[in-house]
Amino acid sequence: MDKFSFKDVLVTVAGLFITVFIAWVLITATGNNPSEVAKYLYEGGFKGTRNIANSLYQATPLILTAVATLVSFRVGMFNIGINGSMYVGALYAGWAGYRFTGLGHFSHVTLCIAIGMFVGAAWMLLPALLRVYAGVSEIISTIILNFVAVLFVSYMANGPFRADPIAPATPRILETAELKQIFPNSQFNTGFFIAVFVAILAHFVLNKTTFGYELRSGGDGLVGMYPSRFSSYLGIPSDRSAITGMLISGALGGLAGAIEVLGAVRYFFQELEFNQGFDGILIGILGKLEPIGAIIASLFYGAIKNGGFYVDYKTDVAREIIIVLISILIFFVSAQKIVKGLEKYPIVKKLDSIFSRKKM
Amino acid sequence: MNKEIAIDLKNITKAYPGVVANKNVDFQVYKGEIHALVGENGAGKSTLMKILYGIEQPDEGEIFVNGSSEVISKVETAINLGIGMVHQEFTLVPSFTAPENIGLGQEPKNNRGLVDWKGLNNAVMDIAKKYGFEVDPGLKMIDASVGVQQRTEILKTLYRNANILILDEPTAVLTPQETDELFTVIRTLVDEGKTVIFITHKLREVMEIADRVTVMRAGEVQGVSETGNTSITELASQMVGREVFLQVKKDEAQPTEKILDVQDLWVHDARGLLAVKGIDLDIKKGEIVGIAGVEGNGQTELVEALTGLRKASKGKVMYLDEDIASSSPKNIRRKKIAHIPEDRTNTGLNTQLSIWENLIGNSYFRKPLSSRGIFNLKKVGEHANKLREDFDIRAPNVSLKVKSLSGGNQQKVVVARELSEDPSLTIASQPTRGVDIGNIEAIHEQLVQMRDEGGAVLLVSAELDEVMAVADRVGVMYEGQIVKWVNPKEVDQAQMGLYMAGVKD
Amino acid sequence: MEWIEIFDISLLRSLLRSTAPIAIVGLAAALCSAAGVLNIGLEGKMLNAAFAGVAASYYTESVWAGLAAGVTAGLLTALLFGLLSFTLGADEVLAGLAINIFSLAGTTYLMRTIWGQAGFFSDPRIVGFEPIHFTFLEGSFLEPFLSDFTYSVYLMFFLAVGLHIVYYRTRLGTAIRATGENPEAAEDAGINTVRIKWLVTIFSGALAGISGLFLSLENLTMFTEGMSAGKGYIGLVASSFGNNTPLGTFGASAFFGLGDAIGIRLQGVYELDSRLILMIPYALTVVVLILIGIRQRLKVRPVPIPES
Ligand SMILES: Nc1ncnc2c1ncn2[C@@H]1O[C@H](COP(=O)(O)OP(=O)(O)O)[C@@H](O)[C@H]1O
Ligand SMILES: [Mg+2]
Repeated sequence: MDKFSFKDVLVTVAGLFITVFIAWVLITATGNNPSEVAKYLYEGGFKGTRNIANSLYQATPLILTAVATLVSFRVGMFNIGINGSMYVGALYAGWAGYRFTGLGHFSHVTLCIAIGMFVGAAWMLLPALLRVYAGVSEIISTIILNFVAVLFVSYMANGPFRADPIAPATPRILETAELKQIFPNSQFNTGFFIAVFVAILAHFVLNKTTFGYELRSGGDGLVGMYPSRFSSYLGIPSDRSAITGMLISGALGGLAGAIEVLGAVRYFFQELEFNQGFDGILIGILGKLEPIGAIIASLFYGAIKNGGFYVDYKTDVAREIIIVLISILIFFVSAQKIVKGLEKYPIVKKLDSIFSRKKM
Repeated sequence: MNKEIAIDLKNITKAYPGVVANKNVDFQVYKGEIHALVGENGAGKSTLMKILYGIEQPDEGEIFVNGSSEVISKVETAINLGIGMVHQEFTLVPSFTAPENIGLGQEPKNNRGLVDWKGLNNAVMDIAKKYGFEVDPGLKMIDASVGVQQRTEILKTLYRNANILILDEPTAVLTPQETDELFTVIRTLVDEGKTVIFITHKLREVMEIADRVTVMRAGEVQGVSETGNTSITELASQMVGREVFLQVKKDEAQPTEKILDVQDLWVHDARGLLAVKGIDLDIKKGEIVGIAGVEGNGQTELVEALTGLRKASKGKVMYLDEDIASSSPKNIRRKKIAHIPEDRTNTGLNTQLSIWENLIGNSYFRKPLSSRGIFNLKKVGEHANKLREDFDIRAPNVSLKVKSLSGGNQQKVVVARELSEDPSLTIASQPTRGVDIGNIEAIHEQLVQMRDEGGAVLLVSAELDEVMAVADRVGVMYEGQIVKWVNPKEVDQAQMGLYMAGVKD
Repeated sequence: MEWIEIFDISLLRSLLRSTAPIAIVGLAAALCSAAGVLNIGLEGKMLNAAFAGVAASYYTESVWAGLAAGVTAGLLTALLFGLLSFTLGADEVLAGLAINIFSLAGTTYLMRTIWGQAGFFSDPRIVGFEPIHFTFLEGSFLEPFLSDFTYSVYLMFFLAVGLHIVYYRTRLGTAIRATGENPEAAEDAGINTVRIKWLVTIFSGALAGISGLFLSLENLTMFTEGMSAGKGYIGLVASSFGNNTPLGTFGASAFFGLGDAIGIRLQGVYELDSRLILMIPYALTVVVLILIGIRQRLKVRPVPIPES
């Protein structure tokens, strides 16, 4: 993966401007006032402790799904099924949250998170094995499993795990399993710190350890590169790296789901809807597949997402506008030739060399 | 010979990022002649021909075909001008039959607008008969031999009414006998009034088949001569720019104890066919053992089996006193066996990674580069920069991605890594492919130096000159077997040609 | 009712109805894959077309305006995909993925913002396609097999056969297959592979559009958030199972259609949880993926080593 360079920043910023322009047109066209929308977007994202706390809350699962995405991409696999892992992770973390009684706070939370991560990882086992041992594209299999996950958790919440005769929902988790909410009137919880810690850990492991090197040796591109012969040639079992990467990716998806249940909603119910697994792909790419980049992009995305809720509440503009705009931004960022085209200009080249990272 | 000019390229210049492939090239071909275009790998021969065939556009220069100035901006134009090209890498659709490949893009249609396959078959068979080719119209190219594929390519140009045929290194994949057959075909073509441009870097072939020859070096034309008025030595010196070609300075080998002993090794290829059929081979410390042979005779699978990238189906590979057949690449590497693979960009390197990340592939796990699984990036940087200097890798810093390096420098990254960890046995497969002459010498010297320091080397190369110059002992591989062991000092090229064709004695 | 009784003529009809949307988008996928374009974005094209069709039909109360709008939406989305992948050098998978996320959010946004509806949008003004009744078949034994289907079923057969002829009997077809298998060979034969890729992308955009349109304007006349529900991806799997050939893809799609049809019938018979029934097409997809994997593994059979 290319490191951040001036060109990339330029393209991202230029793309941002164009995206804002498109947003302006789109909002006006659907009969709303763009400056009003901008105002609410800002207020919802950044104004006051509560909104900031909520923005951070929104960023929490995004950090994890973005890191889940980039881990899989950087081992050369294209995991699109993180949303599925998030669902099953949430379901089983919630189950563990009410099922195990008599535990201390720390051990209960740890157990729930471990179960959520385990289930999230297990969800990725089939696509990983199919890819490695039978050459079946992980792209399609993970996408399909997303649909299976939604129906599966909804079935479980309705059937085996259902507690309430009226509403299809599991029992509430025990207090010992809760991740603490810190601000009043906000679902912001200590899970945020777990997410940031995990991202920093991922940064360290991927870039500074031999284990990370072994994982990346077969990949590190923006496209699925597995099977790369380079790692097996070096004596690094590339199959194992690919599977490990997929499992880690799934576990992080499961962790995102677990934190959502343990920290925010506190039980699993049928209508619970996740799409952070998909947002995470966009954020991972925006953050150039670096965990630190993922944190920054998630904070940005979390804020405008929360702002989007406020806009949705205050105006007729639906909150999906945010995803629309981010995907338009991704169109710009993924257009390699725009970035390459900039290399023609000497000024860009010069600035590029000034901005590029320290040399070894 | 009449002197009507078929092709006249004037002052052609073409630059790729980092390399000028053609520099003010003038190139003339007479109608009805066999014109050889010779030069080393990377001299710019293919580029010049791709410009003539409309695949590449020149930065400067003019093209005249049969006397009129032409702008050939796409292949179609070249085809319409009667130019046909058989590429170095065949351009056939594997699941298509010979007629389907030959007619591609120009299939005859019946009155309902549908492709007339029968008509196409007949047309192809007619042309084949005219030039004395044999064609099996039902055979898919994926199941066809190299020779058949090449003839299909030639028929393809004839089907499109080519009068001027460009053959880009057609003999590289052929045995000497198949080469003879090809030469018969070429002579028939010329007898039928065609003009042939024949690209090669094998000078004996030039003397045998061509009427005239143009020599290129480093993108420039070095000279044009009639084959009757020149000699191999003269052409060779034009080609490499100095008198002697491929002489490797080395003393007599001092082999000591046996380090590798391969016994009755059998290996399947990716399609499940037998590629290596019962090979016996041993290497001693302090010697370079060469494997010669036309490509595709099992060399790839042999090397992959020795290095753990492919399972051996039967047989033993004794390394010192241990059988390493079907061991993992990891185990094999840890025994200080280095491997320079033939496939540089996908196997030898991960071009997405930086130079330093590629350089530490066989040492990242040891102190001081890392300890307890954590990198010491300062030491890693020092290590990588030292290799960059020692092996003359031309790059401003080692944080650059390998994909931004030229082919020759990429190969140097591979060689630097593989020779850096003090290997006991080095298995080098096509180590100088696509590398320019100066660096070829450097790589050869490094291999000889490994030997002189008591290491063992297995050199597998399709370049006969290279194996003969570098190795102390040479086995010739043919159809999965080593048909002959020779001392390179006691055998001449003609004899080697016979062995490479499978003739045992 | 015995389970065997579910195999009757109405199962066949239900099978054909379920097969049609998958087969049409599957043929679009096959066409792209045959030309070497991995078109993940078909899902988004279906969705945009389903939305545009409903919107146009709602405002004009004409199903033909709906058809025109749906096809246009499919084409425009295909244009975006081609622009990103072929002109601007984006990775095909990323471009397709971004388009799908964009389309899901975009259609939901428009539905909520314009009509203030969440979940689904339905209105009596939305005109849908009616089944075609062939009077000349009335009373014939063929009537239950051939008559009173909606357009998509007839289109599916027409496309499967038509594309088969295009693939194997036209210059365009060989050009498409050559482009996918060995682009250098195609270029060398004077075929403009970029143009071929554009062509299949645009045409498959129209097909995906039509397929999406039939979701929202045929049996149901409404738009639901994310109503393509992975059919674009299932189409990709069907084409891959059918080796990217028209008839193979059609066969594979019929397999999915059969699963769907049986599921619907079983639900009526056994009162199974609807979520398990809904899971059938996806579970079948996973099964098919595993079968593809097994088939790939079986392809290589090592020849025996002769005894010395
Ligand atoms: N598409 C390309 N992009 C960049 N460099 C190229 C390309 N094709 C050839 N080159 C470079 O141009 C030079 C001449 O190559 P080529 O014409 O293939 O030589 P030859 O056919 O004589 O071996 C080489 O240095 C090669 O690396
Ligand atoms: Mg060449």
